[in-house]
Amino acid sequence: MPDMTREFLKPHFPWITLVALTIIVGLANPDFLSISGLISLMADVVPLLIMALGMTFAIYIGGIDLSVQQLANMVTVMTTVYLAQYGIGVALLVILAGALFGAVSGFVTTRLYVPSFVSTLAIGFIALSIAKWLSDQRALFMDATLRDIHFGWMFDTTMGVPHELVLGLVLVLLAWFLQTRTSFGRALKAVGSGELAAVASGLDVDRVKILAFCISGMFAACAGLMFSVKLSGGDAQLANGFLLLAIVAVLVGGTPLTGGVGGVINTLIGTLIVMVIRAAMVYLEVDATQQQMVFGIVLIIAIALTIDRSKLRGVVK
Amino acid sequence: MTGIAADGDASLGIMMRDVIVRWAPLLVLAFLVLLFPVFEWLEDFRAGQDHVYLLDSRFFSIRNASRIAVAATPGLMVAIGVTFIIIMGSIDLSMEGTVSVTAVIFAFAFLALGGTLAGWAWLAIPLAMLVGAAMGMVNGLIHVVFRIPSFMVSLAMGFVGTGLALVLTGGDRIRVEDELFRALLTVRWLNFPIMCYVALLALLVAWFIQSRTTLGRNFYAVGGGEELAQASGLNVTRVRVLGFALAGIFFALGALMAVGRIGIAETATGNNFMFISITAVVVGGTALWGGIGGVLNTMVGVLIVYVITNGMVVIGLPNWLQDGVLGALVITAVVLSTNRRSISFVK
Amino acid sequence: MYELRAVDKHFPGVHALQAVDLEVRRGEIVGLVGENGAGKSTLMKVIYGAYQPDGGEIAIDGKTVRFQNPRQAMHHGIGMVFQEQSLIPNLTVMENIYLGFEDRFVQFGVISWRSMAAAAREQLAKVKLDIDPAAITSDLSFAQRQLVELAKVLTLEERIDGDLVILLDEPTSVLAEDEVKLLFRIVRDLTKRASFIFVSHRIDEVLDLSDRIYVMKDGRIVDVVQRDDAEVSVIQRKMVGREIDKEYYREQKQKPYNPAHVLVSFDDVSLPGAYHHISFDLHAGEVLCLVGTEGSGREAILRTVYGLDSCSSGIVTVKGERITRFSAMAGVRRGIGHVPRERKVEGIVNGMNVYENMTLAQLRRFARLGVMNVPEEKRLATRWTERLGIKTPSITKDCGGLSGGNQQKVVLAKWRSGGSDVLLLDHPTRGLDIGAKEDVYEMIREMSADGVGILLVADTLEEAIGLSHTILVLKDGEIQKRFDGTPGSKPSLYDLVHHMI
Repeated sequence: MPDMTREFLKPHFPWITLVALTIIVGLANPDFLSISGLISLMADVVPLLIMALGMTFAIYIGGIDLSVQQLANMVTVMTTVYLAQYGIGVALLVILAGALFGAVSGFVTTRLYVPSFVSTLAIGFIALSIAKWLSDQRALFMDATLRDIHFGWMFDTTMGVPHELVLGLVLVLLAWFLQTRTSFGRALKAVGSGELAAVASGLDVDRVKILAFCISGMFAACAGLMFSVKLSGGDAQLANGFLLLAIVAVLVGGTPLTGGVGGVINTLIGTLIVMVIRAAMVYLEVDATQQQMVFGIVLIIAIALTIDRSKLRGVVK
Repeated sequence: MTGIAADGDASLGIMMRDVIVRWAPLLVLAFLVLLFPVFEWLEDFRAGQDHVYLLDSRFFSIRNASRIAVAATPGLMVAIGVTFIIIMGSIDLSMEGTVSVTAVIFAFAFLALGGTLAGWAWLAIPLAMLVGAAMGMVNGLIHVVFRIPSFMVSLAMGFVGTGLALVLTGGDRIRVEDELFRALLTVRWLNFPIMCYVALLALLVAWFIQSRTTLGRNFYAVGGGEELAQASGLNVTRVRVLGFALAGIFFALGALMAVGRIGIAETATGNNFMFISITAVVVGGTALWGGIGGVLNTMVGVLIVYVITNGMVVIGLPNWLQDGVLGALVITAVVLSTNRRSISFVK
Repeated sequence: MYELRAVDKHFPGVHALQAVDLEVRRGEIVGLVGENGAGKSTLMKVIYGAYQPDGGEIAIDGKTVRFQNPRQAMHHGIGMVFQEQSLIPNLTVMENIYLGFEDRFVQFGVISWRSMAAAAREQLAKVKLDIDPAAITSDLSFAQRQLVELAKVLTLEERIDGDLVILLDEPTSVLAEDEVKLLFRIVRDLTKRASFIFVSHRIDEVLDLSDRIYVMKDGRIVDVVQRDDAEVSVIQRKMVGREIDKEYYREQKQKPYNPAHVLVSFDDVSLPGAYHHISFDLHAGEVLCLVGTEGSGREAILRTVYGLDSCSSGIVTVKGERITRFSAMAGVRRGIGHVPRERKVEGIVNGMNVYENMTLAQLRRFARLGVMNVPEEKRLATRWTERLGIKTPSITKDCGGLSGGNQQKVVLAKWRSGGSDVLLLDHPTRGLDIGAKEDVYEMIREMSADGVGILLVADTLEEAIGLSHTILVLKDGEIQKRFDGTPGSKPSLYDLVHHMI
């Protein structure tokens, strides 16, 4: 019987962990549970969420995308530089750039047989170069009026809900739709869970993989765009520190590196878990110097709780 | 009959390709070493100055070689450590945290024990290595006991390590100014600082472990076929945990070199080691899926990475361009040194 | 010396071994033959300790023993030379031989390669293999690896006191003729040191090597033959046992095919190392069976038709179109369906549910602007689940959790529902129980009545004869003989075997 319940609960571990964490922190400090506080916390985590959403696609096929942070860096610079010229059209420009870089990563991975760990890292370096070149290695600032004209709407609120949060949720829905409702999403699942069977069913596996990296690049670009507008500027180092967090958000949500399991909703939960852990340390007044260590330890526990080992096919490496 | 002849040709071709692939990293390195002086020569040629290729090169000089060697030493130690793990088919991303912690603990212990190698402070060195081993062992134990993939465990352990270093230092830098210890960098034998010889010794030890001990050979067995190894009676769990501990020791050596190089231990000592070391391992021809490669490959890989970085500076490539060129060259190096026949999946 | 007494083994729904008695005397080579599914592999697993018998007992020198795992069996002198290569390819030969037992060569933590190489050379000498013990295993030929495996098992000799019993599981399947002869000579020499149980589907080889031959059928030992009294045809009849049941293979439903409608045609097609000069036509409504031993080129031909392998010369035509670019994607688009032998790896996607698996090869048909029409998919899945009687609690259930028979039906539904009219069936009934097999036969008949052309590699010869309109017998990559399979004039099993070996 306990086995049965465990079996039944397994897919639900990630969100149970999230709820349990929230309740624990809430009990320790009731201020944490205030609606407005939670909303602003969530609004803050939106860029990370977007980046992690993209990363989900790369991890879902059993790869990884280490270029997202550098892509976001490049996009902050691009946005700042080209805002005056293209206005809101700069959004389209940067997303296309993200897609292009992602596609190149995918191409290098699938057709040149370079492991995605290395290919995406290297492509990230190229993005960094472009960011440095465009920014002349300085921190750039946006023209405040232009920013407000074109992207001011992003930080307004409607009935207390910040628009950036709405934007984040729209992207979650979009990614979720891609994953669950489209033929691409289906192919993605087939490639992630059984690449050989996908090949034997006549799927164009290489194309599916390239598309996955492409989407990852596009989401990274969206995250960069939001950073840039939020901080009103661009810099080749602006998004540093977000890569590992994005990976962590995906993993802690229950999408293991073996692929085919988990997905977009898991990443939403994973991002929220990361958010709760980090916020909790502020609310529980963990000393600033200890926060990172505590974060790491809680992370190990959270992964140990959320990971569904029966879905890790073969040996655990 | 023609069929057999054709097969023979094909297998000869395959053999040739195998040989080339095996030596590809070294060829890439040699090519790079000869490439950068060409740029120098071109530049002087354009400026109308006399320049004998290689002889007048600033890049191709002992002085610069020693500069590259010094820069590469800490990275080499870390990369050697992670090589063992990658040979097993696992991965260890905890190096940045482990390097920071061991560097900081070493510095504190060193100062507390008198602050000079002439006294008891030498004990800080084995202590740092023990701490590294302990961190690695924890890493490995969590990995095998809770059956969490090494990628996740070591990533989180990296946070713990960096965090622990931060707790210990409170964000401060610790200076290690003992002249005897700094002699690692300052005293030169045959134009190379002592730390290069220490690193060479460590490389030899690593090579010895890899090729002459049961543990080292068992890494290859686990990476080549974990289930088969288990079926042959190998205690795979033990091999894995020991592997992570061994990697921890080499991370600690990397930390010692890093402190020896700049004379400072801080939370940021470990920064950037993760990507550099794994890139170097892959560029050197060790496969991420395990079983192939070794520490000598890693040394070549590390040299390739640092030769590229150094060479770009020497030929005066604009700073902004350097990252991109490094990225493109890394991809090229990996493409050249991968044996596609042996790959079923690349993820 | 080594004895099985009335050993029984049950699996859910299958009585895999029924009161099996087997005896191996010192220095003897015992042959074990039987068709696929006769219980040979189960019996071997019981012998080397991977399975524990449910009934009966195992005795060595009259003493009853029980093995919990292969390692315990090893301690009693029982070693196994596996059919699949069990050597780790990136290690050296000597490391593989002594993997897990390196301790005796370690001094002060250092492996002495010299003493290990010397010891390994001794082991290799036992199997008359003159190779460098430091050679990398993946550089060896299959035959050499087979001998290294034998040498590895023979290290038991030094580790244990009693007698050795060594199982050889299909050791000849990847070997050339002279390599087989060499192996046999070595095994005969080794009878001074060990007894052997030799398992093979090549009856002539078993006859050649063994002193006594056990014939298995349906989980029983049906006969024990002395070598001197043995005859290939007698043993074959015993293996097959009963007369072929016409009803079983739905022969009454076999309709003549349409000879005017050619779906797939091979004209003098070759792929070096796999098959040579293959020509045949597959017609609408025809079941064409490729018969041959493992490695005779049957599977490679299927792979070429599907597009997974290309060919080097000759003309392949599918539905009148000459194929120049070989890819599975193009194959699927041309209406070719492939039911692979490795059902769990290549057939179904473990982790996807029933309807997702069924529509995997035809995503485009169910997508409008890239958006899946899930209700339509579910309707299709429901229809086919009912039509084929797939037993699953729901069409949203993970396919990995279904029984083998139901998984196979999902794979068949995947292609049939997509309208494939050329189907490649690679061992479609492998590992299925009788009921599920009959379902598959029924489907094959239905499909061919619908005008589907079927290229079949059957699990057993009986199956091949029972199901097909045409049989091509392959040997070493070449077509030996073409048989017509019209009911009433079907070839006999012995006709086929005669051309196979």
